[in-house]
Amino acid sequence: MASISAQPGDLASLSRTTADVSAKTAAIPWYIWCASLAVTSAMVGGYWDISWHESIGRDTFWTPAHMAIYLCGVLAGIAFGYLILHTTFSKNSPLAEASVHVFGFRAPMGAFIASWGGIAMLTSAPFDNWWHDAYGLDVKIVSPPHILLIIGVYAVVVGTLVLLAGHMNRSRSSHAAEKKLILYISGVMLIQFMIVLMESTERVYLHLLTAYLVTAALPPIVLALASRLTGYRFAATLVAAIYTAFRIGLILVLPLFPAEPKLGPVYQQVTHFIPPEFPLLFIVPAFALDLLWQRTKNWNPWKLSLVSGAVWVLVFMAVEWPFASFLLSPASRNWFFGTGYLYFAMPPTSFLARNVFYPNSLSRLQFGLGILGAIMLATLAIRFGETRGEWLGKIKR
Amino acid sequence: MNLLRFSAAFLFLRIAAQAHVGSPDVYLQGKAGPYQLFVTVRPPLTIPGVAELEVRSETPGIRELRAVPLAMTGAGAKFAPIPDALNVSPKDPRFFTGSLWMMTSGSWQVRLTADGAQGQGILSVPVPSFARSSKTMQFGLGAILSVLGIFLIGGLVAMVGAASREAKLDPGTQPSPTNLRSGRNATIVATVVVLAIVFGGNYWWNSEARDYSTRIYKPLKMSASLQGNELLLEMKEPGWMQAKTIKQAEFRVFTRKMDDLVPDHGHIMHLYAIRQPGLDIIYHLHPEQRETGSFALQLPSMAAGHYRLYADIVHANGFPETLVTELDVPAITSRALAGDDAYASTNPWQQSSGNTFVFTLPDGYKMEWVRDSQPLAANRAMSFTFRLTKPDGSAPPDMGLYMGMLGHAAFVKTDGSVFAHIHPNGTASMAALMLASGDTSQPAQPMKMDMPGMDHNMPMTYALPNSVNFPYGFPSPGRYRIFVQMRHSDTVETGVFDAVVSK
Repeated sequence: MASISAQPGDLASLSRTTADVSAKTAAIPWYIWCASLAVTSAMVGGYWDISWHESIGRDTFWTPAHMAIYLCGVLAGIAFGYLILHTTFSKNSPLAEASVHVFGFRAPMGAFIASWGGIAMLTSAPFDNWWHDAYGLDVKIVSPPHILLIIGVYAVVVGTLVLLAGHMNRSRSSHAAEKKLILYISGVMLIQFMIVLMESTERVYLHLLTAYLVTAALPPIVLALASRLTGYRFAATLVAAIYTAFRIGLILVLPLFPAEPKLGPVYQQVTHFIPPEFPLLFIVPAFALDLLWQRTKNWNPWKLSLVSGAVWVLVFMAVEWPFASFLLSPASRNWFFGTGYLYFAMPPTSFLARNVFYPNSLSRLQFGLGILGAIMLATLAIRFGETRGEWLGKIKR
Repeated sequence: MNLLRFSAAFLFLRIAAQAHVGSPDVYLQGKAGPYQLFVTVRPPLTIPGVAELEVRSETPGIRELRAVPLAMTGAGAKFAPIPDALNVSPKDPRFFTGSLWMMTSGSWQVRLTADGAQGQGILSVPVPSFARSSKTMQFGLGAILSVLGIFLIGGLVAMVGAASREAKLDPGTQPSPTNLRSGRNATIVATVVVLAIVFGGNYWWNSEARDYSTRIYKPLKMSASLQGNELLLEMKEPGWMQAKTIKQAEFRVFTRKMDDLVPDHGHIMHLYAIRQPGLDIIYHLHPEQRETGSFALQLPSMAAGHYRLYADIVHANGFPETLVTELDVPAITSRALAGDDAYASTNPWQQSSGNTFVFTLPDGYKMEWVRDSQPLAANRAMSFTFRLTKPDGSAPPDMGLYMGMLGHAAFVKTDGSVFAHIHPNGTASMAALMLASGDTSQPAQPMKMDMPGMDHNMPMTYALPNSVNFPYGFPSPGRYRIFVQMRHSDTVETGVFDAVVSK
């Protein structure tokens, strides 16, 4: 996590820096690394699974993508189950003093949250299986058992952040490594949020109010939280950059691997893994928020949230609206913007296959009022993110 | 999450009516190039879901048999997913099994490709795909999920309490009375919020279940009335596969219409009128379409009684439906049977001793169910063979085709839960078979000489065999009546057979 600044050929300097790195990383305990690995696994698995469904279609419980998702639950369950039991029953646990009580057990707060997430994820598996039996295999992301799974993943992410914050607040050393990890985990959280919002933010929906309501409600929470908790000047921009890089990376990497549909109906010829859509341009409003927050440290928090909410929604609309038109144009159908990749069962009559925006049924007045509503949502989201960031800055257990 | 549902702890199946009534499995015999195949497709209960596939080859030498499902018509018929190789039975190299995903409702085909000693051959099996029912949760799973759900809810509330009470305290310090109060308040607020989320989730679940229930197949509603001697049939859309929003229209591959019916072996509707409760009188008639959704027919002379009417129709994409209604008919004196009309009268099934094998026809001819003495079992794919003989026991020299085929059969369960109209090639309609085989030049014209069920080894003298066989399997145990129609000269004969089917 720490930067390595060795001159070429300067072996002594290099070994010193390496020792420095290990000293810093050793400061972050194993269970936090374990949690970071768990949430990364769920993030990769989630997108892999979606691509699997769009390219191959048929799956079993045992696909590698599912394994990556459930590895998160298993890792969280085992690591934090162990941590909870050890802190509760061992006489000389270093964390005994820094623990909270839940159901008679003792452990750091984040361990309970993350293990709760692991149990929620594992509960969702038989629930989802039954759901498919009862209502057919779903070809959509947002269903009750999937939401239970995603809530479980969020809980592991939140638990990781809480553990990390508690650890950081207790330690006296510089917090550089912890803050970088917080930034990374925040990026993972934003990437995870965008799985739930994926179905309402496809490019053909980007001239509809819904897209601007949902993107006002969730992503700003993470950006405000990360900014408050790390105090970095460009925290929001960096978190948005992690999301942007991850999603562009998928567009570059997934189509390198062959895949063919194993389910009908097949409407689009697919020969390789289909990546998700090009990332939303969150990085622009995130940068605007960073600039705003650098200059408004002494503002009343609600006033700041309101202005931030307006900046978020309006800047995002200003860039995404014309960009969406570009994404529907032939110029974007290439290896970088990836709008030529279509889910194999996307009917040729669909808006996506025809590159046509969904018709907007709202009047201008209704749309305008809706955008005001989006600003209110973003205001609440930012205020919520800030208070959670402040709370995380104070927790010690 | 959904505690109310978790407590509903038994398996509950709702059987909907369908193309054929109560008989969802597809049976088909046909040729994949040089290989004669007997195919059984058991479609899934839910869509999307997995269909089970069984294939028996009557021709030896198949090395590999691959299967792929694809839409019958439209854009989805162009590209096929990767075919699956079927598994060969270790005991019988001519028996293959496999499973296939049926992803959307509508008119599908399963395309079988056989490779072997005699080269390659393809057989397309029409499979109507539709959701038949939903399931409630089994007790064991419901109990496990309930316990986990309660634990998750309790855990969430307890964690919020702990976070508010202790998380900010310096290590080693004890919570003050203020901290304890703050923890209690947070617990109360969290309980309210979590319960609201659980109830919201329950509402969501119910609305998803409602949405799913609208996708469960409902046949077109049919009502029947009499105007003098004329039978009037009116159809109504009960609201299945109707796209109501732009989004539904975008992804719905198949929207059911009433104005897209195509003739199936020469008739736009095949109507079976069967007198209840004895199933002792049966008419096979062919009403004409007057306008969209409206059919009429000048009835022949009919015996009075309460009749159940089964109307078979086929949509342009090959999707077949059987519409059911009931009608009280007074004694009608009218025209004689004509053309493809058929009729039979016998004793009520309640007076039958069980299985019957020979039926004596009004003109002294006999129809015989040729079968071994094995008891009949439900869900077993079988070949049903019937033979028509003259009163002296010899084969009639003047056998003819009945609506382009050697025969038609209707399998009817005496409790009314099953009705299946079967052809010598199986349960599929001719219209669907032609679409599946890619022959759209003559949609559903009567078949000419080369059709399944015929003995292809016979000398080409145009003499037809006096026996016919039908691939089918009884869908459930119980008592059935089988009505078989064959033709010699201008006489359409209807034989009636009783069958007792065990599990």
